[in-house]
Amino acid sequence: MSEPKEIFVRLDRCMGCHSCELACAVEHSGSKSLYGAISEQPRPKPRVYVESVSKTPVPVVCRHCEDAPCMHACIAGAIRRTEDGVVITQSDRCIGCWTCVMVCPYGVIGRHLEEHKAYRCDRCPDREIPACVGACPTRALVYRSVTDFSRHTRKTASAQMLGTQGG
Amino acid sequence: MASSGTRYVIVGASAAGMAAAEAIRATDRSGSVTVFSEEPDLPYFRPLIPFLISGRKSAADMALMGQGPYRGAGIDVRIDSRVDRIDSRAQTVEIHNGERLPYDRLLIATGSSPYIPPEIAGTDTEGVFALRTLADARAAERRVAGTRHAVMLGGGMLNLKASFALLERGLQVTLVVKSPQVLSQLMEPDDAALIRDALNKAGLKIETGAGAVEILSKGRGVSGVLLDDGRTLDCEMVCIGKGVQPNVAGIDPSDIRIDRGVVVDRFTASNAADIFAAGDVAVTFDPITGGRIVTGLWTNAVDMGRCAGYNMAGKPTEYGGTFGILNATQVADVAFVSMGIVHTTGRDYETHAHGSRGAYRKLVFSSDGTRLVGVLLVGDISRAGMYRFLIKEGKPVAKIKSHIIDHTLHYGHFVCPDTGKG
Repeated sequence: MSEPKEIFVRLDRCMGCHSCELACAVEHSGSKSLYGAISEQPRPKPRVYVESVSKTPVPVVCRHCEDAPCMHACIAGAIRRTEDGVVITQSDRCIGCWTCVMVCPYGVIGRHLEEHKAYRCDRCPDREIPACVGACPTRALVYRSVTDFSRHTRKTASAQMLGTQGG
Repeated sequence: MASSGTRYVIVGASAAGMAAAEAIRATDRSGSVTVFSEEPDLPYFRPLIPFLISGRKSAADMALMGQGPYRGAGIDVRIDSRVDRIDSRAQTVEIHNGERLPYDRLLIATGSSPYIPPEIAGTDTEGVFALRTLADARAAERRVAGTRHAVMLGGGMLNLKASFALLERGLQVTLVVKSPQVLSQLMEPDDAALIRDALNKAGLKIETGAGAVEILSKGRGVSGVLLDDGRTLDCEMVCIGKGVQPNVAGIDPSDIRIDRGVVVDRFTASNAADIFAAGDVAVTFDPITGGRIVTGLWTNAVDMGRCAGYNMAGKPTEYGGTFGILNATQVADVAFVSMGIVHTTGRDYETHAHGSRGAYRKLVFSSDGTRLVGVLLVGDISRAGMYRFLIKEGKPVAKIKSHIIDHTLHYGHFVCPDTGKG
C-alpha cells in the first residue's frame, strides 16, 4: 500500500477566500451542488475553518491525529480510524455528548445542533482529492503523503536559497 | 519490548481494562491477553446504559468489542469470572470458581461501585437502583412499567442522565439534592442557572437542600422516600447517584498499597512487582494542583488504561494525570463543558465570567493571571479542547488571554503571532 496522504496547509499561500469552506459544505450536502446546498435545511456545514489572526488567514482542518484523542475519549465507540488512516465519526453511533469537542486540541470538531451529532472532516471518501484541496485557487491546501510534502518543502527552500544567492 | 509469550492478565473489562488490552495488543502481538469480568455481559460502553432505560439503544448497540478503537484480535475476555485473590508472590490470580491463573504482568482495573450512603435506611428495598452495570439498567427498565413517579437521590451526571431516560419513558421524575443546586461537583450554584432552567423546562422536578432519611416500602417494594424536612415523596422507584468508590475488595493492602484506591507511580505501576493499576480503582494525580485524586470518568479510565497497557508491554509511557473535573454533556437542549478548577468562591483565582442569552462561560486563571486553570462553558462549548490543552500543559497564556476571556480562541492563534491588528 502506498503511503497515505494528508491535507497540508501552506500558510504563506492562503488568501482567505474561504473557497475551501464552501466546497466542503457542498460536498457534505445532500445534493452535492452549490445551488442545492444553499436551500438545504439544516444548512450543510463546512469541516474546514479559515480563521484569522491579525488579518492573516489561517485554514484549520482535522489532523486525523496518530494518537487521536477524540477517538479514545468517545464514550459511545462512535469514532474510529479507517484503513486509510482517516479518523471518522459514525453519525449513527454518536450520542451528542460532546466529549470529542472537549478533548480535540485543534478545535475542529463541530456540533450539528439540529441533528445533535458531532461532525468533522472525513477527507471526502467519495473523492480522489478532498473537496477543500480541489477548490483552493492558490494551492494553499495540498493533498500529499508526509514524505512527499517534506521533500517538496526542502526542494522549495533550497531553490529559494539558491535564488537569493544568485546561483 | 516484552519477550514473546508474556502472559498479561487484566482484572476488569471496562474502559481501563479494555483500553489496556488494546494497547498491549498493539505493542506485543505474541503475548496472551486475558481479561476477567465479573459481569455477565461482554464489555460495553458503560456511559450508554441510560439508553437501555429510555429505549433508544439495545444492549447489543452498546457492545464495545469491534467498535471505535477496540478492534484488536486475540483478546480473551472471560465474563462471569470474579477474581477473588491476587497472589503477588506466586504471580497468580484466583477466580471465584477456584481456578488459578499465572501472570507475568497484571493490571488491576476493577473500576468503582456506587456509594450508597449508610445513613439512608432501606436502600436494599426492591425498586432502589444505583445504575452502574448493564444488569442494573435492565432491572431498572423492568421496574419502569409499574412506576408512576421516580425519585432520584443525588444531582450528579449519572442521575441527570437517568432522569432524562425516565422522563422519556413518560414517568414523573423528582431529583433530590442536598446542595443548593444540581451538578454541584461540576459548577457553582450561580453558574448553573441556565442548566437549571433547561431542566425545569424539560419537566424535571428538583428539590434542592433536601436529603433522604428513609426509603419506605410496601407490597411491591418502594412506596416513598422520607425526606429530612419531614415530607414524604410517594414513588415506586428510587435511583441513588451519590458518586462512586474504588473497588479494592480482593486486594491485600499489606501487599499492594491502597489509599482509597490503588496507589501507582507515574508509570501506572503499583508498589508490587509487575502489578499495575488504571481507571477508577487507581489513585492518580491532578496536573494543575499536583494533588492525588480518584476519578470516575470513562475518558480518564481509557487514557490511563492505554498508558498502563504500554507500560506492561515494555514501552515506558508516563501518565500525565488528569483533572478531577473533565465533563462534557448536554442536559435537555443545553450543552456544557466543565474542566479543571471551576469552584472559585472564596479562593484566590482570577475569574472572568460572562453570561448572555443562552450562553454562559467562566474562565479561571491562576491568581497571578498567567495560566489558565479551569473553564466552564455552557451553551457555546465550541473549541473547548483547546482550553483543555492549555490547562493540562500549564502554558503561559499572556499573548492569547483576551481571546480566552472572549471565547474567540482558535488554532490559528497557536500557529500565527497575533500582532493585535484586527
